[in-house]
Amino acid sequence: MTRKERAKRRQLLKIAAAGSVAYAFGRLPDAVYAQALSTYARFADYKALVCVFLFGGNDSWNMVVPRSDAEYQAYQLARQNLAVSQASLLPVTPLTPLPNGAQLGLHPSMPEIAALFEQDGACAVVANIGPLITSTTLAQYQARSVPLPPQLFSHNDQQDQWHSLRGKAVSNTGWAGRIADALGAQTGPALPLNVSLSGQTLYQAGASTRPYVIGPDGPVDFFGLDGSDALSVARKGGFESVLRANYGTIYERAFSGVQQRALQSAQTVNAALATVRAPNPTPFATVFPASPLGTQLKTVAEMIAARGTLEASRQIFFVATGGFDSHDDQVQDQPGLLANVSACLNAFYRATVEMGVAQSVTAFTQSDFGRTLTSNGDGTDHAWGGVQLAVGGAVRGHDIYGSYPVLRLGATQAADGADDVGGGRFIPTTSSDQYAATLSRWFGVPDADLARVAPSIDNFPKRDLGFMG
Amino acid sequence: MRSKWYPSQWRLALVAAAGFLITACGGGGSGDSGGSPPPPPPPPPPAGVTKAQAFSFLNDATFGATEAEAQRLQGLGDSTTAYARWIDEQLQQPASLQLPHVQAGYAALPQPVQIARLNADRVDIWFRNAVNGPDQLRQRVAFALSEIMVVSQQGALNNRPYALADYYDLLARGAFGNFRQLMEDVSLHPAMGVYLSMLGNQKPDPVRNIRPDENYARELMQLFTVGLVELNADGTPRKDPQGQPIPTYDQSIIEGFAHVYTGWNWSGAASFGQARPSLQNQVLPMQAYAEQHDTGAKKVLSYTGAALAEIPARTPADPARDLDDALDNIFNHPNVGPFISKQLIQRLVTSNPSPAYVQRVAQVFGNDGTGRRGNLGAVVRALLLDPEARGAAPDASTAGKLKEPLLRVTQLWRAYSGRSQSGRYNVQSPAEVAGQGPLLAASVFNFFSPFYAPPGEIAERGLVAPETQIATEYLSTQLTNYLFVQTFCYTSSPVTGCPTVRAAIRPDLVFIDVSAEAGLAGDSAELVDRIAGKLLGGQITSTLQAQARAAVERAPPDQTGLRVAEALYLIASSPEYAAQR
Repeated sequence: MTRKERAKRRQLLKIAAAGSVAYAFGRLPDAVYAQALSTYARFADYKALVCVFLFGGNDSWNMVVPRSDAEYQAYQLARQNLAVSQASLLPVTPLTPLPNGAQLGLHPSMPEIAALFEQDGACAVVANIGPLITSTTLAQYQARSVPLPPQLFSHNDQQDQWHSLRGKAVSNTGWAGRIADALGAQTGPALPLNVSLSGQTLYQAGASTRPYVIGPDGPVDFFGLDGSDALSVARKGGFESVLRANYGTIYERAFSGVQQRALQSAQTVNAALATVRAPNPTPFATVFPASPLGTQLKTVAEMIAARGTLEASRQIFFVATGGFDSHDDQVQDQPGLLANVSACLNAFYRATVEMGVAQSVTAFTQSDFGRTLTSNGDGTDHAWGGVQLAVGGAVRGHDIYGSYPVLRLGATQAADGADDVGGGRFIPTTSSDQYAATLSRWFGVPDADLARVAPSIDNFPKRDLGFMG
Repeated sequence: MRSKWYPSQWRLALVAAAGFLITACGGGGSGDSGGSPPPPPPPPPPAGVTKAQAFSFLNDATFGATEAEAQRLQGLGDSTTAYARWIDEQLQQPASLQLPHVQAGYAALPQPVQIARLNADRVDIWFRNAVNGPDQLRQRVAFALSEIMVVSQQGALNNRPYALADYYDLLARGAFGNFRQLMEDVSLHPAMGVYLSMLGNQKPDPVRNIRPDENYARELMQLFTVGLVELNADGTPRKDPQGQPIPTYDQSIIEGFAHVYTGWNWSGAASFGQARPSLQNQVLPMQAYAEQHDTGAKKVLSYTGAALAEIPARTPADPARDLDDALDNIFNHPNVGPFISKQLIQRLVTSNPSPAYVQRVAQVFGNDGTGRRGNLGAVVRALLLDPEARGAAPDASTAGKLKEPLLRVTQLWRAYSGRSQSGRYNVQSPAEVAGQGPLLAASVFNFFSPFYAPPGEIAERGLVAPETQIATEYLSTQLTNYLFVQTFCYTSSPVTGCPTVRAAIRPDLVFIDVSAEAGLAGDSAELVDRIAGKLLGGQITSTLQAQARAAVERAPPDQTGLRVAEALYLIASSPEYAAQR
């Protein structure tokens, strides 16, 4: 340990001892760090963030749609055959009025979200949001006179921007991973703060912490290794000895690491899940959609139900669903995609209400990018700014945050609330850093650490968009 | 060099003295001193190919080394000739195809026909060709190409199994052909047309605010040919004076190419608007319908030596000529050689090739020795014969790669004659167990990214390990469990207590033949050596060897199946088998 690390370690212990949040700095050896933090970094309460990633770039201008005549006409003119019909829109009325009395509606396939917004006040809309390094005007964009996120309009790069918030800097960490780094390597002895039900993601990778990946139904146990008979116990011992050997290549070491983590966690988590799944297959009266997203969110809800057994005080879950890259057949495909998101988010919220933890659990969407207002004939292409949803008891719902522009081709910031860079691609007016910082503050990241989680946050006027209670 | 990690396991009796020298040569400089990389090894005297070297080569070039193929390779000559002869034989092998097998399955479909059921036949023929096909190298390269120029059953192509099978056949046929031709064949294949929506892409219609679809324009460049940033000849990113990478193209160039790719649709119709899919035209190249092709000038990539500053306006519309010009423009971009060479090296040999290795292969892409650019057969030959691939890696800790999960299975089946009674490989949902399957990626970004670096030492050292992206705790357990079932239950000597298999599905279950091991079950050392010989080329760490022997000895002497299964499972699930060394 270097002198600097020792100093950081002392600081860590000091802060932790004072009963505040622990800090996990730098690159302390994993074991030291996990031990230090599992001892000190415990919150008295429980909170969970659930990232619902919509892979492919959700065409969110068709998810939250202008409903008032003038604004609808601009939208309809731009979108043509892809426009959702005005009469079919589900009215939503944000508490904060839009400029010029403009009104909004939701896509007709999202009645549950409309009810969460209007009746429960548990859903907030964040508009014209996307990756930015600093506030950007059309002139600045065209002149490249401010730093821009690299490779705009490219799927994986913009997913990475949402995940990492690192702008041009190379990043091997995501903002949820950095929250885990900041709050402590573990929030409980059983498993890491970050749990993914949809594979590895940059979003949850930390500098010193790593996510735990489970399946849509939870982890799987290793066959033949979990019995209590002598042979199984011995077999597991041999299996572990092989994994713990010193290996010469980074690939063998990576593989043995993942196998060891899987072996350590699967039984603990499955035992915890079994306590909430028995005697009924599920603890909830709420019925989750049978879709892959519904299955993942049901398992997340069950993990939350088992939080006591898992001794978890803070958790970030990653779930995802795909198919949003609607270059083709958008009119046919989009209703089903949005209906699934709506039904799944609603079921998840209802389950948290049943458990009495609605105030402690916040689900929120992220997606590659918004899509072009213009059509390519039967679909839309990659763009930039769009709309995201946050759902939960702690969400200051029934309202819109940021600003929803007039969806006019050639829109300008001055006249319409956002600049169109061409083809109906909007420069975001709210940054994903602000979104992440708002959620992180609620989650318990101290203000002093916000810039670690959201590195560009101080390039924007507001650190907190206000949608979390 | 790679063997330096297993000093106690060098089986000197099997290693010709000169062959041992080669191994030591590559490894000597990368020893424990941690000093600067060694100078290139001096040319070794001709020496025999060792069994371990043969395994290493065959795991790079096939769907899994076997002792029989290793012996055959060893018999082809010394280390300066055997590999090249083996490759040259393979370059001549015609492609084992998928489409005839999938089409043959149509007649057996129950009524009413659900065409998507033929995807099971498509997966079946993929395994048949991977496990038993004589054109191993061609199939291996086709698989690599299918992970670069990605189309997937997931999505609109679920109902086009003929198109998917034919697309894979295109890759197998083109695996050693010219990359320019491959670009064209891929661009015009209706599977790609559907997947990245060039099929049905129409010219601009300003009145309806319709502009060309940018999907194919973007991904052909980003993922299949040039990549996002300008590259040096050795595959490293070029930097501007501020140290930032330089984008290869911008949105206006994507829009230019998007206009090029207008007017193409299913073949055989009287007009663009009447084009419809059929069982026949889903295996034929898309057809150009001039009335929906844009006639304006189109921006293309700009680089030193580019033949065209732009594609000129052409009236009447000439979609085929525009496409030719566009593909020539991309193909001749200096990025293509290093971009494709590096990805093929990553798929076949190592996750972290040195820049010099990439550059040597990229040079062959640029000129195969006869002045031709884009000769994939020559590129594959060069990347497999390169000294860095054949034992002289500058850093032993980064040499090789994690095996793709499917290859861990195919290697086991190849080593142990994995077959079902019916001959069918009825692998249900391979992606759910292995995280991958033939043409089953979740998106055009493949199962994993060539840039993926897992948290920990790999990310910290600025290295990558693409396959680890699907080696999650979850998927890794799934595949380990599969190996448990395969080695305990689906063998020629299953253990007692395995679940009963329904008679209806039993003929399609893949069993492995462990009869040779069963004969050695009484002697744990012999048994473990036998398995290590088949799966690891005889190189096994002392830990694994000791643990495998102990596992055998724990099982009662009379339980032959169990004794074999304990050792086979431990070795097949081990980190050293999971690595391609």
